[in-house]
Amino acid sequence: MRGKDVRLEDVVMRFGDFTAVQKTSLKINAGEFFSVLGPSGCGKTTILRMVSGFIEPTEGSVFIGEDNMRGLGPARRPTALIFQNLALFPLMSNWENVAFGLEARGIDRKTRRNRAFELLALVGLQGHEEKTPAELSGGQKQRVAIARALAVEPAVLLLDEPLSALDLKLRQYMRAELKEIQRKTGVTFIFITHDQGEALTMSDRIAVMKAGVVEQVDTVDNIYANPKTPFVATFVGENNVLQGKVAQADKEYAVVETSQGPLRGLNQDGLSAGETAMLFVRPERTVLVNGVIPDNSFEAHFERRDLEGAYVNLFFKTDAGPFIVHEANRGRHGDLAGAAKVGFNAGDAIVMRPGEVDNE
Amino acid sequence: MTATTSDSAVTVAAGAPAPAGRRAGTEWSEVILKIYIGVFFLYLFAPLLVMSLAAFNAYEYPSVTQWRGWTLKWFGELAEDDRILQGIVNSVIVAVGVIGISLPLGLSGAFILTRLQSRFNNVLYATLVSPLLMPGIILGISTLIFWGRVNVSGGLLLTILAQASFIASYSMLLFMARLQRQDRVLEEAALDLGASSFFMFRRITLPFLMPTILTAAVIAFLQSIENYNTTVFAIGGDWTLVTEIGSRFRFGLSPVINVIGVLFVIVTVAAATLYTIQKERERKRKAALK
Ligand SMILES: Nc1ncnc2c1ncn2[C@@H]1O[C@H](COP(=O)(O)OP(=O)(O)OP(=O)(O)O)[C@@H](O)[C@H]1O
Ligand SMILES: [Mg+2]
Repeated sequence: MRGKDVRLEDVVMRFGDFTAVQKTSLKINAGEFFSVLGPSGCGKTTILRMVSGFIEPTEGSVFIGEDNMRGLGPARRPTALIFQNLALFPLMSNWENVAFGLEARGIDRKTRRNRAFELLALVGLQGHEEKTPAELSGGQKQRVAIARALAVEPAVLLLDEPLSALDLKLRQYMRAELKEIQRKTGVTFIFITHDQGEALTMSDRIAVMKAGVVEQVDTVDNIYANPKTPFVATFVGENNVLQGKVAQADKEYAVVETSQGPLRGLNQDGLSAGETAMLFVRPERTVLVNGVIPDNSFEAHFERRDLEGAYVNLFFKTDAGPFIVHEANRGRHGDLAGAAKVGFNAGDAIVMRPGEVDNE
Repeated sequence: MTATTSDSAVTVAAGAPAPAGRRAGTEWSEVILKIYIGVFFLYLFAPLLVMSLAAFNAYEYPSVTQWRGWTLKWFGELAEDDRILQGIVNSVIVAVGVIGISLPLGLSGAFILTRLQSRFNNVLYATLVSPLLMPGIILGISTLIFWGRVNVSGGLLLTILAQASFIASYSMLLFMARLQRQDRVLEEAALDLGASSFFMFRRITLPFLMPTILTAAVIAFLQSIENYNTTVFAIGGDWTLVTEIGSRFRFGLSPVINVIGVLFVIVTVAAATLYTIQKERERKRKAALK
């Protein structure tokens, strides 16, 4: 294992009056596949550039392994960055691109050529060594960029939305490929994306960012199952939101008085009666009530259904906003019309202090 | 050129399957265009043709109207004209010197203006470009006076300095245009992979600038060779081809000058042809690779 851990300690990044990254502390473990997830402009690239050394944080420090990185430029950090637009050198052949880092270290031509050929083989590009990047497809360019970054044997590989330019098929293929390379090399990956699906499928852990603030750092399972803020709850995966006032609360559960009546959910933020609250429940944890009555249930107006094959999404309209039920397709959703009863169990719903939600 | 006209004719015809009336109008404009192009080329090449013919005329003065029969004797006279030959050598020396000074200076200026976003950029830009707007005579005289103070008198060295003072500005403008088109991320990528600033410059920036370096060198060379206004003040007791021709005007020209003209035309055409052939070969080689 050659990966190293990366720590941000009380890091702040300001550009003039504008604070791109608010005070953040983060620890990324050695050999981990770590994703930074957030909408455009939230400061993801800024975090990456602080780790790679193109900018110094206004406050706080970046550590890689045991070493404080302050004052070290990008050339002297054990990181390699894969740029948002790849930044392959157009005037060099692919193998020269890959060998560039070795050439900069004064390694002789024969050795670095052999190494470059090996790495290009590793990423499945045998036979393309003497071509230039312009003669490659998007996915192939991607791999040259990966091989070029791996050639300098970084302890930390930083990837800035490297898959965003690829079409869906290739993107899915490259996800698996990247994951495999990470497993083989043991390098710490810090992967930036605004695609929550990408982050969920690839990562060990995720940091979710919004407007310069890291809202939650957690394992993929926890991010999905136990979101800590309304933004994380809605940005990662789908979530139904119901607003209201807490009617009664204990340590474990809270009952929220919504326009659909009182609804019970886990009292995550320890709210007490009288406070305003948001209740979140994932579409796949809801049901069309049919016989067994769950903890919470209410009438909703059926609008339409989207058939996904094995699953169906049922869209309802309520006074509290849209409500989605995601169910296995058992062939009984065809004749829905007008009002229907929907519901969910209290243990599947989370009650939180209100906050900004992602409304895409 | 005829290829271009017929090309445009094809586009017009294909682009506008217009009614018959329009069609006649199109033909008229085509005729006018052809006449215009014809006149343009006549204007461009007729003087060259007249000049070249005079080089082969067995008459004391450059002329085609007073035709005294074909001769090659002026070519022979040129070969024995030491001042002219030395002038050509001097011109080349000066031109090479000017390239040697203008390119590094121009490149430095371009880097400062495109990379360091200083508050004084506008002032600096105006200052560095101002020699282009200055009359050549003034550059020549001021160079002579300035360097005279430190006991450098007129000659080839001073001519190099005087010419470089404005040719460097041309180089700078060329380099600026190129640098503004550069993808800075490539340099960041090089640094990130462990390159020193010097290695990055040599391996990334310089190859990117190479075509412009060649262009700037050619332009500096041509600017230097043909310069008279500035040179005539800075040259002192020495001479270049152009100042030599200039000074002979007073005594009337001889067809030897026309011979030089013919040789220049031949060299230029040959160079342009070679360049085109080379480009074409490269293109074919690239196409064959795919
Ligand atoms: N050098 C800079 N000077 C001033 N502002 C900057 C600079 N770099 C980034 N910013 C600002 O900081 C904020 C965060 O930018 P950043 O590039 O980190 O976003 P991002 O999350 O990577 O977005 P995207 O997904 O669109 O790439 C933006 O509002 C941006 O305008
Ligand atoms: Mg970005």
